[in-house]
Amino acid sequence: MRLAVFVSEYREPEMLERLKAEKLGIVLVQNGVYHAALKKDGNVSPVLSKDVEYYALSEDLQSRGFSDSDVVDSKIKVINYDGLVDLIFNDYEKTIWL
Amino acid sequence: MAIKKIAFIVEKLPYKSETSRLALTHAIASQTVEIHLEDGDNVEPVLAFVGDGVLNCLKNQKALDIYGVSSLEAHIKNALLLDLRVLVCKEDLEGFGLTEDSIVMDAEEIGGEVTTQVVPYEEIQQDLESADHLMFF
Repeated sequence: MRLAVFVSEYREPEMLERLKAEKLGIVLVQNGVYHAALKKDGNVSPVLSKDVEYYALSEDLQSRGFSDSDVVDSKIKVINYDGLVDLIFNDYEKTIWL
Repeated sequence: MAIKKIAFIVEKLPYKSETSRLALTHAIASQTVEIHLEDGDNVEPVLAFVGDGVLNCLKNQKALDIYGVSSLEAHIKNALLLDLRVLVCKEDLEGFGLTEDSIVMDAEEIGGEVTTQVVPYEEIQQDLESADHLMFF
């Protein structure tokens, strides 16, 4: 399956480690964008340690005082609301919120 | 006839919930409560950001444009305008790789005179001890 996982909190969801999919995308939204924009004590968030697709929502970054270029790893694609809709319809079959 | 010191401690992130916004509105409201009190009674608020809460203080929040809600940045400026003591934990700020340049330090553009103080947690601890009431958000 092609699964998009929305992460909306700034903590590591335990379920994230267990999820498997042919194509797994982690979409960082709301307070989840802090994973994309910050290092804590110099370390990137453990949420970013998986070999999957990563996305962060531009509007949520900017609302919190970050710019799109503040993402800590180039593997994170910054997308806007329109891009998110395209992603859900075109690239993934199922979506879940953690 | 007394002054009650209330410490408003913010440790939650903004926007996902209203918690940190409530801390700001309560702290700001405490500055106007004098009119309801007896002569000589008053409230002395102190507002401190610790842990993840320091992220409420980031500059350039576009929440008004994007979410249609006032940003925490704007609320902090209002607090400074009303001469509230605003403290930000130095260790937690540094833990996120942030500096004074990254956060709201003053409200000069709206006429504020006091500035945010970035202080070691030890100093915030002293405010917790000297406060009559603690409110955690």
